[in-house]
Amino acid sequence: MDSMTRPGRLARLVVTVLAAGLLVAGTVAGSDDDFPFGPFKMYAYADSPDDPVSEALVLAATDTGRRIILTENDTGVRRAEVEGQVGRFTADPTELRIIAHAYRRRHPDVRLATVSVIIRRHELSDGRPTGSFRDEVVAQWQVPR
Amino acid sequence: MRRVTEWLMPPVPLGRVAALRTCVYLFVIADITIFTGWVRNRTAVPPELYEPLRIGRILPLPAPTAAVVTTVFWVLLVSALVAATGRAPRLLGWTVAALYLEWLVIVFSYGKVDHDRFALLVALLTLPTVGRARHGDSTRSVRGGWSLRVTQLAVVATYFLAAWAKLRYGGIEWLTGATLTRAVVRRGAEWTELLTDVPGLLIAAQFGIVAFELASPLVFVLRKRARYVAISGFYLFHLVTFAAISISFLPHQVAMLSFLPIERVRPVRWLRRRVAGGRARSGQRDAAPEPDSAPSPLGS
Repeated sequence: MDSMTRPGRLARLVVTVLAAGLLVAGTVAGSDDDFPFGPFKMYAYADSPDDPVSEALVLAATDTGRRIILTENDTGVRRAEVEGQVGRFTADPTELRIIAHAYRRRHPDVRLATVSVIIRRHELSDGRPTGSFRDEVVAQWQVPR
Repeated sequence: MRRVTEWLMPPVPLGRVAALRTCVYLFVIADITIFTGWVRNRTAVPPELYEPLRIGRILPLPAPTAAVVTTVFWVLLVSALVAATGRAPRLLGWTVAALYLEWLVIVFSYGKVDHDRFALLVALLTLPTVGRARHGDSTRSVRGGWSLRVTQLAVVATYFLAAWAKLRYGGIEWLTGATLTRAVVRRGAEWTELLTDVPGLLIAAQFGIVAFELASPLVFVLRKRARYVAISGFYLFHLVTFAAISISFLPHQVAMLSFLPIERVRPVRWLRRRVAGGRARSGQRDAAPEPDSAPSPLGS
């Protein structure tokens, strides 16, 4: 068996207690910004069983009028990231040009006319989806010609 | 005090440390090439979406330009590959830990932070302190014991504090809310429609999840056999979650190997024996020494 010096034991004990303290503090009062000690809040929000389930989507219209949903594969931007930064797009819709450019790099042959962020709300009844949904446009940007 | 340190630093076989190292470093490679490989394309696209986390603002980390990400990627890839063999455990171990942390800061600075890597990070940050460990070595080590123990603690903390976070953000209504329904609607597999069809099923599952998370620390008071059963239960939970809403929690699952006697699984030795056995049968003598316990040339 290997041996451990007294300072070695003490240092490990202190590091353990310190890290545990930071983690508990992060859970009680921290946010995602405090990574890696932030709260483990994936799926921690309670959703009402009768409120619709909403998701943010990036919707685009091509110059031929076709409407397409821009997925992560199309733009490299993940849905959760769009949702994390919705406020930024509503505050300044011209920021959507970032996503339009990202799309353009991957699909140089498709010309987009508009790019929008929509909130799609799936209807729930008693905690179960009814199958219908409503879309609301929260930010829209006209792609310059 | 003495009992606390003894519990925190129990003697464990060095072979287990070696096995966990191999798994953890191989996962790092899989993570940066497959699961979070998108970051490499990201830099070419919208750097404006990068908003560094606090740790990225405190530490003098460079902005993730294409050059930075490419450098981190390749150095991390090569270091992790060599580290997985057990060579230069301190030098390479610290290199991988630091660069992987930097990688995660980049990955999580685009508006979404995942919570499945805490225990893996703890393993990465403590494994270098153990020093050299060979596969199959049954020598006991208390340094190894500390690394494995704090990784286990991190695994359980992830569960227990996740329950706490549900109480903080969702309140007690979380239990009877529509969180799982929402997850299933947004990212459920085809078959999960069956789940929303049964009234009350997902609510029951929510009670089950919180009960499991709150009870998870009990794994430390269970005896060997019962503990392994409990850990199998943890793995089963992630399997079901993955089948339903394709959330794998894979990095967490890799760290959870710290609970198991993984030193007994020796695929490399098994494979070499098969090959050697085949040769012996065909009339050739194989005088190769015990293969994967060969001393590492670089040491530590």
